[in-house]
Amino acid sequence: MTMQKSSDALIAELVSELEPVRPLRFGEGLALALAAAGVTVVAVVGLFGLRAEWLAGHLDPMQLVATGLFLGLALAATVAVVVMSRPQVGSDHGGWRWAAAMAGLLPLAGAIVALGRGAGTMSPELMRHGAECLAGGTVSSLLVFALLVLWLRRGAPTSPERAGLVAGVAAGAFGIFAASLHCPDNDIVHIGLWHSAVVVATGLLGRVIVPRLIRW
Amino acid sequence: MRADEATLARLMRMSQAGDKQAYAALLEACQRWLRGYYSRRIAPAQLDDLVQETLIALHTKRASWDATRPFLPWLAAIARYRWVDHLRRLYRADEHELHEELMGTDEEPAIAARISLDRLLDLLPPAQERAIALVKIEGLSIAEASAMTGQSESLVKVNIHRGLKKLSAMIEKE
Repeated sequence: MTMQKSSDALIAELVSELEPVRPLRFGEGLALALAAAGVTVVAVVGLFGLRAEWLAGHLDPMQLVATGLFLGLALAATVAVVVMSRPQVGSDHGGWRWAAAMAGLLPLAGAIVALGRGAGTMSPELMRHGAECLAGGTVSSLLVFALLVLWLRRGAPTSPERAGLVAGVAAGAFGIFAASLHCPDNDIVHIGLWHSAVVVATGLLGRVIVPRLIRW
Repeated sequence: MRADEATLARLMRMSQAGDKQAYAALLEACQRWLRGYYSRRIAPAQLDDLVQETLIALHTKRASWDATRPFLPWLAAIARYRWVDHLRRLYRADEHELHEELMGTDEEPAIAARISLDRLLDLLPPAQERAIALVKIEGLSIAEASAMTGQSESLVKVNIHRGLKKLSAMIEKE
């Protein structure tokens, strides 16, 4: 009976604390992430300028495909994060893996081409440019990253580790998508290795840092 | 009150809007539902703590339920998350017998089966499920579980560790 009493006391306490809440809507979560990505794109283009090539009216197919794959991965991973914030037995949030597998073709192709070309692909100049894109893409991912973490904190992700990883992937993919609008390099080795590295780095960062921020 | 899906969903909608009377009825019904849900899957001495922890989680995470979606699969996900977390904290329960009267009655068997804890445990390899059941649910020591299963003590520990890791990754699985 003591147990029953303590449960009754707890229920009375929780009832007295009740305030109206705004439920987490799927559309709202997605719209907020897209808005953050939009702000990032405007900031990158505004601060550093759009690709000179595009301004001259020339479109490179390789660059378009790669940028599109990163955007696809960013959208799929964002949807997964928003779904994860609202737990439900029977809910599936593994769809982003297919998008990640497709985007995974970029580093694979980049590595194969780099091996074929030999030592020339690792010149200090190319490495420096690659590191710039890695840093720029990572910085460009921060706004979306912060927003997704805040969203997950409001929600109730049942696997904080997975949610952290996917939030990092989503943010990194949006970040490098935005950075790609400025980066003038169309080379598959550069895109495959350095642009993909942004997604890997932010994914790892999310996996390591985010769980402790969203655990409940 | 009968804890059926439609009633609980209606009470939760009203609770999200701030209706305290509906919230009291909801928590009361959820408390009873959770007792049934956890019965046989937690040492009896731990049941009350776990139910209360889950009610607090329901309270703090109540915005994560969307009225366009069913209520019980949401509550079950919250309950499974708290349950795995509870099993992770090492304890040695004093009581071994299970209170049969606590066993839940399934009013909606089809839903109940899909969201149950048994369903989740069944997804584990048998050796891991057995190690978790003996040590974490029934409260045996590692040595006792080792003697009962024929697994070495270190294997029992490894199986518990791997099993809990797997459970926490599969919380939303049907």
